[in-house]
Amino acid sequence: MSSIVKTEDLTFDYIRRDEEGNVEGIITAVDNVSLDVKEGEFIAILGHNGSGKSTLAKHINAILYPTEGTVYVDGKDTSDIRNLWDVRQCAGMIFQNPDNQIIGQIVEEDVGFGPENLGTPTEEIWQRVEESLRAVHMYELRKKSPNKLSGGQKQRVSIAGVLAMHPKCIILDEPTAMLDPEGRKEVIRSIRALNDVEKITIILITHNMEETIYADRIFVMDKGKIAMEGTPKEIFSKVERLQSLRLTVPQVTLLAHELKKAGLQLPDGILTAEELICQLS
Amino acid sequence: MSIILDHLCHTYEAGTTLKSEALKDISLKIDDGEFIGLIGHTGSGKSTLVQHLNGLLKPTSGNIYYNGADINDSDYDIKSLRKEVGLVFQYPEHQLFETDVFSDVCFGPKNMGFDKKEVELTAYSALETVGIDHDLFYVSPFDLSGGQKRRVAIAGVLAMKPKVLILDEPTAGLDPAGRDEILGLVRKLHKENGITVILVSHSMEDVANNVGRIIVMERGGIFMDGTPTDIFARSDELETIGLAAPEVTYIMRALKKKGLDVNTFATTIDEAVPSILSALKARKC
Repeated sequence: MSSIVKTEDLTFDYIRRDEEGNVEGIITAVDNVSLDVKEGEFIAILGHNGSGKSTLAKHINAILYPTEGTVYVDGKDTSDIRNLWDVRQCAGMIFQNPDNQIIGQIVEEDVGFGPENLGTPTEEIWQRVEESLRAVHMYELRKKSPNKLSGGQKQRVSIAGVLAMHPKCIILDEPTAMLDPEGRKEVIRSIRALNDVEKITIILITHNMEETIYADRIFVMDKGKIAMEGTPKEIFSKVERLQSLRLTVPQVTLLAHELKKAGLQLPDGILTAEELICQLS
Repeated sequence: MSIILDHLCHTYEAGTTLKSEALKDISLKIDDGEFIGLIGHTGSGKSTLVQHLNGLLKPTSGNIYYNGADINDSDYDIKSLRKEVGLVFQYPEHQLFETDVFSDVCFGPKNMGFDKKEVELTAYSALETVGIDHDLFYVSPFDLSGGQKRRVAIAGVLAMKPKVLILDEPTAGLDPAGRDEILGLVRKLHKENGITVILVSHSMEDVANNVGRIIVMERGGIFMDGTPTDIFARSDELETIGLAAPEVTYIMRALKKKGLDVNTFATTIDEAVPSILSALKARKC
């Protein structure tokens, strides 16, 4: 499998300046990170507030450029201005707040905005809009005004907007943080379907541990570095280590961990209720 | 001493084609010292309801009584109500604006007309309560982490010395440790200072672990009202309105089906662990 996102010794400094432009302080948000994401993978990135997840994500979409090191998206160096359009078309980004990402007056117009900017012929724009809305199950609501939609529906419209650009990779920065449980389910279901069916590479940043159990690999960030890397099973086996990084594990895993501490014979890294029930009975 | 809602209705954009009924005939009594979880999906009316409790929104019809007085009477002192009923909005850190943490927390009590010394004393104790270190007092609030910013924003409300604290999704967007810190703080305020707390949340785990009473809203009305055990025992009904019981409850039920005699009313891990252990022991005998 070829790599779709690759960072080599990526470092990013936020430099704060006073009114005269003198440097007041430097915060290294991403510190020497090298990672390699293969095409079609489902990657989850965990980490506490301020660990550098979002800064890292913004490099993949060329919103930020490395202070040191290089980021390649589909083989193209993101800091080369000539690659900007290709990089952004290849790697789409979804943010936390659904209200900040929708601009159209009706759903289908909003979804068509991206391909229109790419100079796609009108006929094809409509075709892409339809495909994208169907992929996130929002086609029935295409004529609605986005501000009449629920949070989960708005997020799915945003995802359709990215899909219409025909990206190979989608980066989602806490897409479910502002949603209710039903909205969360809808969005996660859509993301998994895009990965399974359309083979789109997914990079999901989240604080919700339950959402990461289907990922192929998890990266845990701390102080701008990759602190842990592995499959969900490997990562969630280390309950204490995660807690020391201000994180936790899914509820089921935590229950199993507590039972194990109380003396039961259970394997580490139980991720689903079925597994736990099977082990107990 | 209590808050009473009497047939409260609120309609947005009444009299236009965009009219929408956000609250429909809500009657409710909240006693002093209660810890209440308010749940419901987006658009069910939770935020509209809590904004009535400190007079930010006025009812279309119906009344709200705080300690026996109608808060929408023309001669009611709404300013004193806002001091006593503190509302922490969603993402309260977006409202930080001062140049340093300490001044930001001083803003509320200063507006209430306290003298300088009193303002500073209350701000100091509020920041202590939320666990912000002294060396962060004169830092710009924008240089703090997400969890710290949120605690400073909460301190801004606590500096008004509220008797009722309403928090609208206080843990959204925080990492798990940040979430535990905020909830621990709220628990402490409730337990030690006897503050009445209303927690609006989308996390059933957070609600199950903390509150004594849950109010479930749906389409602007009250769908259920009871203890966590009562409410989560009715998970089938919760699912019809897009909510669910905590994960643990479902596991306990599945174990029961498999013939393990566990407590299916357990809603937290602390309740589940001893129940599973004793059921396993009983089976071995």
